[in-house]
Amino acid sequence: MTTLRIGRTPETFSTSATYFDGTSAHPVPVSVTVDEEAHALVAHAGADFRWPLSEIREVLDQAGGDQMVIQLATDPVQRLILPDRALEPRLPNRTKRPKVTNRGPLVGWAFAAVASVALIIFVLVPAMANQLARFIPPEGERALGEVTFNQIRSALDQTGLNPVPVCENRAGLAALEKMETRLQDALPEEHGLTVAVLDHDMINAFALPGNYVVFFRGLIDNAQTPEEVAAVFAHEIGHVVSRDPTRHALRSAGSLGVLGLLFGDFAGGAAVLLLAERLIEANYSQDAEAQADVFAHQVLRDAQIAPSALATMFERFRELGGDANPFVAHFLSHPALGDRIQAAVDATPNGFQSVPVLTAAEWRALQSICD
Amino acid sequence: MTTELAGSRGALFWLALKTGLLTVLTLGFYRFWMKTRLRRWYWSAIRPGGHPLEYVGDPVEKLLGFLFAVVVLAFYIGIVNLILMFLSFSLFQDNFAAYTASLVGVIPLWFFAQYRARRYILARTRWRGLRFGLEPGAWGYAGRALWHWALTILTLGILWPRMTFWLEKYKTDRTFFGSARMNQGGRWQMLYPAIIPLVIAAVIGALGTASFNFGEPEVAAGLWVIAAMIALYGFVHYRVVTLRLLTNAKTVNGVSLALSPSPFRVTMIYVLGTLLAAAAVFLPLVILGLLLLTIQSADVLAEVGMEDIVAPIAGAGRYMIIGASVVIYFTIFLLWSALTNVFVTLPVVRHYFSTLTLSPQDGVANIRQRPRDEFAEAEGFADALDVGASL
Ligand SMILES: [Zn+2]
Repeated sequence: MTTLRIGRTPETFSTSATYFDGTSAHPVPVSVTVDEEAHALVAHAGADFRWPLSEIREVLDQAGGDQMVIQLATDPVQRLILPDRALEPRLPNRTKRPKVTNRGPLVGWAFAAVASVALIIFVLVPAMANQLARFIPPEGERALGEVTFNQIRSALDQTGLNPVPVCENRAGLAALEKMETRLQDALPEEHGLTVAVLDHDMINAFALPGNYVVFFRGLIDNAQTPEEVAAVFAHEIGHVVSRDPTRHALRSAGSLGVLGLLFGDFAGGAAVLLLAERLIEANYSQDAEAQADVFAHQVLRDAQIAPSALATMFERFRELGGDANPFVAHFLSHPALGDRIQAAVDATPNGFQSVPVLTAAEWRALQSICD
Repeated sequence: MTTELAGSRGALFWLALKTGLLTVLTLGFYRFWMKTRLRRWYWSAIRPGGHPLEYVGDPVEKLLGFLFAVVVLAFYIGIVNLILMFLSFSLFQDNFAAYTASLVGVIPLWFFAQYRARRYILARTRWRGLRFGLEPGAWGYAGRALWHWALTILTLGILWPRMTFWLEKYKTDRTFFGSARMNQGGRWQMLYPAIIPLVIAAVIGALGTASFNFGEPEVAAGLWVIAAMIALYGFVHYRVVTLRLLTNAKTVNGVSLALSPSPFRVTMIYVLGTLLAAAAVFLPLVILGLLLLTIQSADVLAEVGMEDIVAPIAGAGRYMIIGASVVIYFTIFLLWSALTNVFVTLPVVRHYFSTLTLSPQDGVANIRQRPRDEFAEAEGFADALDVGASL
């Protein structure tokens, strides 16, 4: 066949190469040329194949850069090893992915996997934690609270070396105890509480398993009256009574490690930090918060403290929340804060006669409990 | 037939740095692609008889295998740990029992994962167009590994070579190149020369303890330091020498393998390579330390009421310093992983394979292809449990 070419003639391509047919380990020396008409790579001597240039893929990320390994897009095993890279400009789809692996059903599996993990973390673990929390004996619950308390103290220290100290000013503790007794007397039944103040400027308070109620110094510093602190105190007792912290701690024990799994080595540390933060944030359900509020209203009324103090404290959080602290206190994170403020105001009867919780001197002592 | 080696440090450095950066930017998800691309490079650098190995693993199947393992492990960690935690606090008032139980529960899974990872890697490795392969048997491996470990611990390490031999034989006898099954010959007693440095270290350590009891603490400390250094070399020596002895007793299709790595050379690569990489990340590490110190001292000063002094590094300035620290942290991470590839992994791989020979010359030519091992789970468990497969 004679062909008339107009314009520049491409240089003829011809080289010797090693061919592996993918059925035996025998290396076949071949000479290959490019059929310019048919746009194909043709093998002569030793083997006999025609590979369309557009169907040829390079095996990528090869060391050396001296030789070039190519394959056919539709064939998983045949390989041709060329001694140099001269063929490269003639391969239009050189770096495209070969069509040899079937990825279709795999995507479905990926979704199924993600869905199962979500199901385990958000449904299965919480459901089981709620059940188990009902059966844990008091000593066990107490130990769980102690461990969590120490974890939080260590996590809050930025260097991670010395845990956040517990405040122990004697006069301050006495004032706090007076406040506790006042609330205890108003409770339907006695609860042996452990109350602690941590020397940290976060404006927050939280409850832990085993009847722990913990305040941060920031909350006491920013409160204007002892009644506001007492209101938060009553709210936290509400969590203790309904055992929200126990359920939450068990749930965390189950789901925290799972998240650490998902990220690799270096991101794992960051995930753990995030989780420690979550422990403090204690995102109880909206329902649990509302119940703790209702409980607090009742206790405060019975202790002759106006429940509206809780509203005042919430409003103060809202004002300070913007710039005072990078952390978001669990009171703030709730979308329905406005409703809760209104509920606390409504829970205060008209003409309510309140009796002060602390004297001016005691309040000063409480405010300097960390000195 | 000897083994040729290709590829330069520079090319590997850029590949490791580039893929590492992508891994950081994608919050870790690119690591499946990173590992696959690095393996492709390493495999192709090894050319027994002039023909390169090829790694054909697909990062997507690796990602899915990982997700599958995460589902299983999420169930394990989520439910089993929750129950263990509950029981541990209820019965013993602490979480020690729970941690112990859940750790012990993971050990068989760890051996299982190691075998499965090896099966995946072999199934995705080719040479001269033919696939390697490993027969299923991960639970059998895990059971034997537990048994041999128990024996080794109970005999204070005296039966360690026995464990090394039998576990290697279990894996080798299930390994295929194409249609040909590999065979592990030899006896376990042949590995005893490999523990000589460790025995010497133990004797010197015992002498140290003896002189401590005779009221010579300085002599004791000196002997202990010497013993520790010999022991460190002893572990590398054991690994390298057992690998040589075991490889020299392997055959496939009548072809014998031979390997002659030097334990001293491997130790030097580890020590000098790690030092070189550490020297390179030293400067960024110092900068990071200074930045963290600035943030820390600013907090302390603010706490004692001296905010004025640190005003410039409060607010926006503070966040810029934190941002810079994060960037430097990841730079250190990237440099370290790229440099250990270049100065440790590559030299070790090169040293091992440059001594690999096959004889007779072309005894493998008549081996045929084996079918593809689909193995959709890939090495997910190994990735999720981090079983320490370095490549
Ligand atoms: Zn609450």
